[in-house]
Amino acid sequence: MKSVKLFANLNDWLKQHPYLLFIAPGFILYSIFAIYPIISATKMSFYYSNGFGEAHFVGLQNYIELFTTKELYSQFLNAFKNNILLFILNLLLVLPVQIYLAYLIHTKIRGYRFFQSIIFAPQFITPTVVLFLGTLILDQNVGIFNEFLRMIGLEEWVRNWLGVPGMGIFIVFILNSWVGVGFSMIYFIGAMKMLPEEIFEAAYLDGAGYWSRLFHIVLPLLRNTIINVVVISYIFSMTIFDLNYLLGGVDGGYEHSMDVLTLFFYRIAFGTSGAMGGSLGSNSLGMGTTIAVVMFIIILIASLVQLKLMVRKEEN
Amino acid sequence: MFRTEKLYLSKLMLTIYCSLTVFVLVYLVYNSFRSKQDVLTNTLGIPKEWSFSAYIDVFSIEGFNFNILSSVIILIGSLTLLIFLSSMVAYGIGIYTFKYKQVVSVYFLLGLMFPVQLGIVPIFLIIKNLGLINSVWGVVLILGAGISVPVLLLTNFFANLPRSLYEAAKIDGAGEWTIFYRVMFPIASPIVVSLCIISSVGIWNNFFIPLITLQNDNVKTIPLAIMKYTGNIMLYIDKAMVTSVIATIPILILFFIFSEKVIESVASGGVKE
Repeated sequence: MKSVKLFANLNDWLKQHPYLLFIAPGFILYSIFAIYPIISATKMSFYYSNGFGEAHFVGLQNYIELFTTKELYSQFLNAFKNNILLFILNLLLVLPVQIYLAYLIHTKIRGYRFFQSIIFAPQFITPTVVLFLGTLILDQNVGIFNEFLRMIGLEEWVRNWLGVPGMGIFIVFILNSWVGVGFSMIYFIGAMKMLPEEIFEAAYLDGAGYWSRLFHIVLPLLRNTIINVVVISYIFSMTIFDLNYLLGGVDGGYEHSMDVLTLFFYRIAFGTSGAMGGSLGSNSLGMGTTIAVVMFIIILIASLVQLKLMVRKEEN
Repeated sequence: MFRTEKLYLSKLMLTIYCSLTVFVLVYLVYNSFRSKQDVLTNTLGIPKEWSFSAYIDVFSIEGFNFNILSSVIILIGSLTLLIFLSSMVAYGIGIYTFKYKQVVSVYFLLGLMFPVQLGIVPIFLIIKNLGLINSVWGVVLILGAGISVPVLLLTNFFANLPRSLYEAAKIDGAGEWTIFYRVMFPIASPIVVSLCIISSVGIWNNFFIPLITLQNDNVKTIPLAIMKYTGNIMLYIDKAMVTSVIATIPILILFFIFSEKVIESVASGGVKE
């Protein structure tokens, strides 16, 4: 009897709060797979553990070890340096190109639909295939770039372009740019479409040239979009993994030359030959999660900017 | 008014760049019909004969069809879960008024700040405890739970719907659930389609999550399976070509057919991890 009454009460209560039933399923799964892991990882970073046997609390020892052990710290610093390098290259080389391309397409130059589709298309190519396409061009034996060099008489330049020491990170950058350049370009085109047409006409009548309209009218008005793209590109650069792993393996190439933070983290947490197989450190999970937390702090800075922008956008 | 510009240099550079992209893709397809020996020893020469054997081998011997199946199940499963969960959450937040509504919507935005890689160790342990290592459903759960962006976009949509719509349906005697799936969800379908397009790229090409949780060859997704061939081109270059073509060309054809809609979706979403 009592339980029936309780159930009826609960039912009534839910009828008065119908939103709970709509939010609950998403809330549960999102909490388990998106929020709890971050809390759990933070907790694990204070323990010494590799997932087998007992974990014992060590306080900040993992953090101290990461920043004072020479082997760990130098790997961390080297990987972080590569992340920063990729971000700066993105900022200096890709972002201006994206705005430039967006402006060309926005102003409907001849064939702009075709250009837009082709530039965006690599977005759909899976990372493994992207690297393979790079191999078809740059490889020592089957690469057509070398064939091309031979054809124009530059024999002495022929080499294994994918294996030149120190070049790996730039290959990763070029391939990633080829894939990603269209994404924010489309985003910029969308933002340019939102700009009122009259401004352009007024400037045109004032005699402002094609490029001066870009620099003096479009760019200042795109300020928020540019900030947003910079933030997205920062988060992307800090969490980059696929091509570095595919090209350099779990060690990130010779002397970790194309190592990045996520790869460093993967290597420590999941061992050197795949997930939970091969050689695992005795503190793999403790140290792995410590690196994840440090990465989280690195990303948090940018995320806060992004969150602020989004909340502002929502208010408008 | 824009068309008076000449822009010869820009057009030339664009043409060269786009030609390179087209060339690389055509070159890939062309080489997939050549035998291994021919590609390796006679790279730029005229092929002596066409060969389709690699296409047959990857299915009959290598079981690439299982990898395609894995990728398709993960795509459809994750998308369904993602849309189902996020539209309900967004509807709950967007339509109803309740205490702590702001707190709840910020809670769902937090996911934007945590790239999934950072939580992968606990996620891996959860998936392991659920017995879902080597199961596509583990990947579906992980990818389907990343609902921050869909919730954000759909909440804005539902919140801006005229209140009278909900009330009219209520007066007609429809229950809460009926109002949602008969009236409101269909109205949101243009946004849902955009969300599906934006999310499917990320799900289809996802490399990191399947790499961590799928280790058996026959449950691996397409990107992971191809790795076996592209990692050793001297041995497998023909299979690498063929699987790359299968992974790339059908999707690109779909993209070119629907490119207007796809590009419009990306422009409207504007948010990506």
